[in-house]
Amino acid sequence: MDFLSLFLMDFVKQLQSPTLSFLIGGMVIAALGSQLQIPESICKIIVFMLLTKIGLTGGMAIRNSNLTEMVLPVTFSIVLGILIVFIARYTLGKLPKVKAVDAIATGGLFGAVSGSTMAAALTVLEEQNIQYEAWAGALYPFMDIPALVTAIVIANIYLNRKKRKAADEYPSKQEYVGTAGEYIAPAGAALSTAGAPLPAGTSFSTTGDYPNPAGDYPTSRQEYRRKQQGHTDNRVKIWPIVQESLQGPALSAMLLGLALGLLAQPESVYKSFYDPLFRGLLSILMLVMGMEAWSRIGELRKVAQWYVVYSVVAPLLHGFIAFGLGMIAHYTTGFSLGGVVILAVIAASSSDISGPPTLRAGIPSANPSAYIGASTAIGTPIAIGVAIPLFLGLAQAISGI
Amino acid sequence: MAKPAKKLVIVTEKILLKKIAKIIEEAGATGYTVVETGGKGSRNVRSSGQPNVSDTTANIKFEILTENRDMAEDIADQIAIKFFNDYAGIAYICDAEVLYAHTFCGPDGC
Repeated sequence: MDFLSLFLMDFVKQLQSPTLSFLIGGMVIAALGSQLQIPESICKIIVFMLLTKIGLTGGMAIRNSNLTEMVLPVTFSIVLGILIVFIARYTLGKLPKVKAVDAIATGGLFGAVSGSTMAAALTVLEEQNIQYEAWAGALYPFMDIPALVTAIVIANIYLNRKKRKAADEYPSKQEYVGTAGEYIAPAGAALSTAGAPLPAGTSFSTTGDYPNPAGDYPTSRQEYRRKQQGHTDNRVKIWPIVQESLQGPALSAMLLGLALGLLAQPESVYKSFYDPLFRGLLSILMLVMGMEAWSRIGELRKVAQWYVVYSVVAPLLHGFIAFGLGMIAHYTTGFSLGGVVILAVIAASSSDISGPPTLRAGIPSANPSAYIGASTAIGTPIAIGVAIPLFLGLAQAISGI
Repeated sequence: MAKPAKKLVIVTEKILLKKIAKIIEEAGATGYTVVETGGKGSRNVRSSGQPNVSDTTANIKFEILTENRDMAEDIADQIAIKFFNDYAGIAYICDAEVLYAHTFCGPDGC
């Protein structure tokens, strides 16, 4: 009961905190149809500033810290990033009316990390005077990249397998159409043991009446389609995905900050510029996130309701898994409880800046309304509004502060 | 004298900008114009000017002048086959008469 009252008190306090109140404020004015616009370029500069600041903090901290302390939290971040995608694949992906590809993309986005949520968590920890390792922000890329890569790879494996199965079944039905049903079973069995791609000729000869919207294109288009089919059967390349997420705006800013903090002496500009502006800029970003969350709810209405359930439950579930793993690190290597909270919050967060474009390019057939809607409209508000106070309260209850 | 040409217009998602630009250049077009757009299509209302922290919902419009219809169709085909099953997009072609354009018409003008 002690924990519950602590949590409720903390929750009410959180509602009044700049982070959450601006988020709610953004949702309210968007709901009221306000014409308030924050220019996109300002959002971009804010994201850059916040992540550079987090990177600089991390970089300067790593310079003065023992690297062996980082091994376990970094390992856990990677494990979490990958695990979250598989959780989505085998829970959300199995639900009725949910396409597996959409579920995998949603998992990737929820596994990836939101810079704004992390910035909010760091601010709250500082406000409450809770100690955490300053390099904890540097765990971001170790969870973000594995999650996006895993999502894109398993989505493509899934799609390739599905396409191959369709290509296998289709000609076999065509060939055996005269002798009806009894042939289908042996054909399927033989093909499943073979596993290899069909000889090119058989699948391509039927492209003309393939059940596909592109089917009635003129001949030159079919040629292109054929080339494309051959192309997508290739194995998924991991390096381009990693490269793309590293080159994305969020991670570039963060890694640049990390490198500068580690190698240069940016203390003076950090103290006079990045650190003082951090909270004010975060409040503007939160306002924008709130407005965006509201405008996305409408999109989410068009996809299956299960996304709503998932995006409420998943951040908390992921956070609890991360909190458990963080506690293991706490007891074995002395990872601070503040660090455990950060690990839990970044696991609970879902990417809203760099993740969506990467996934859109990596899994084009997934429906962006589903995964971006789930993440931005519900996942992020839950992560900021519920997960941060929840895990903070949990840590405080454990440590007895 | 105005030089007759074809204008290919492609409206699609901003995320494809670089990939489409590459296709256009490889097809041999001398240039293209890109503008940011928004509007309503069969898939959704595409926002412009809404709060937006990532570029996933922004739209762009390419305008490409080509000397003949073949090149324009070639570009449109490649883009349609490659992207339009999964991404929002439309491509259309118009007749155009180029009045002034140094590289397009040649050193002596149109």
